[in-house]
Amino acid sequence: MRTLVVYCHPADTSFAVAVRDAALEGLRAVGHEVRLTDLYAEGFDPVFSAFEHANHRTAGAMDPVVARHADDLRWCESLVLVYPTWWAGQPAMLKGWIDRVWTNGVAWELPEGANRLRPLLRNIRHITVATTHGSSKLINALEGEGGKRTVNRSIRVLCHPRCRTRWIAMYNIDRSTPHERARFAQRVSDRLAREQRQRR
Amino acid sequence: MRALVVVTHPAETSFTRATCDAATRGLIRAGHTVTVLDLYSMGFQPAMTNAERAAYHEANPVVDPLVAESVAAIRQAEMLVFVYPTWWSGLPAMLKGWLEKTMLPDVAFVFDADHRVRPGLTKVRRIVGISSYGSARTYVKAINDNGRRTLLRALRLNTGLRTRSTWLAFYSIDSSTAEQRGAFIERVERKMASV
Repeated sequence: MRTLVVYCHPADTSFAVAVRDAALEGLRAVGHEVRLTDLYAEGFDPVFSAFEHANHRTAGAMDPVVARHADDLRWCESLVLVYPTWWAGQPAMLKGWIDRVWTNGVAWELPEGANRLRPLLRNIRHITVATTHGSSKLINALEGEGGKRTVNRSIRVLCHPRCRTRWIAMYNIDRSTPHERARFAQRVSDRLAREQRQRR
Repeated sequence: MRALVVVTHPAETSFTRATCDAATRGLIRAGHTVTVLDLYSMGFQPAMTNAERAAYHEANPVVDPLVAESVAAIRQAEMLVFVYPTWWSGLPAMLKGWLEKTMLPDVAFVFDADHRVRPGLTKVRRIVGISSYGSARTYVKAINDNGRRTLLRALRLNTGLRTRSTWLAFYSIDSSTAEQRGAFIERVERKMASV
């Protein structure tokens, strides 16, 4: 399956590296065709600009970098996001990738007279998130799990109508042991290597 | 009360900015002291850098001078006011990154002896969110308002228990009329003069 992995963490000494590599290993073990996007490594600019804002109602002129990301989105059948949860959601870098790439003409269109967005990324049938949380599951529940809802609801409705989502999360990472972290990385690898159920 | 108004919008003239001006007018009329941080005009860089991540748990986590300016304002604030457009049910990356970079250990929260997070924004007594939405109210409620959750739950957990919140929302902005937008701006000014 054509799989786009979007990875977001500033430090190459972070545990997120191990999670990313575990994900790639699991995907390649079962022969998925993988493209990797490393937002920090490429120096992606997450700021939705005044120019983009002025043109967002008409699909058209697009920054070449954003256009390349859009091509990757249109190419994939499965999307995998690997990132740390900060302030209950995606880091600004990843949120900016959503703000700038999931735009008019790429992720959605609003035909004349329609009052709801029409999804355009019908090629995406699976979304998987592997994320780490500093705080406990209870605190994250109190905070409302905004990041999870952003993916499972806001983003998913722009994909295939039967798009499935998988959530692989580790809580309390600040107080975790190396053994727990290794086990989580293994879980990420195993889940991604497992055949995903198709809903037709 | 000392109010810190954080406004986020890429365009120089926008509904969000007009709303922010109305909020500021209202606050000043009610006798509050207002500081405005305009993230796009400041040229704030929202992506936490490698150096910032490395310094996060150290004694001096502030690397960026714009972060230092924001942190000084946060330490004074008794009211936090956020004015922004909701994008993909959440905060624009600019504002999300501002939270990540300025709401640091020993600013927004402190660690206790067991390395558990405890509130640090104990001065803050009110959090206000003012946001516009492309979607209709029913759709926002169904799909979820993650920006509102981030500010009124995740951020509010770091303030005192008695912190009050105010949310002013303008839905379906793309199909709104000039009268509706004008009425909202008036409502924001009135409301902010009475909080």
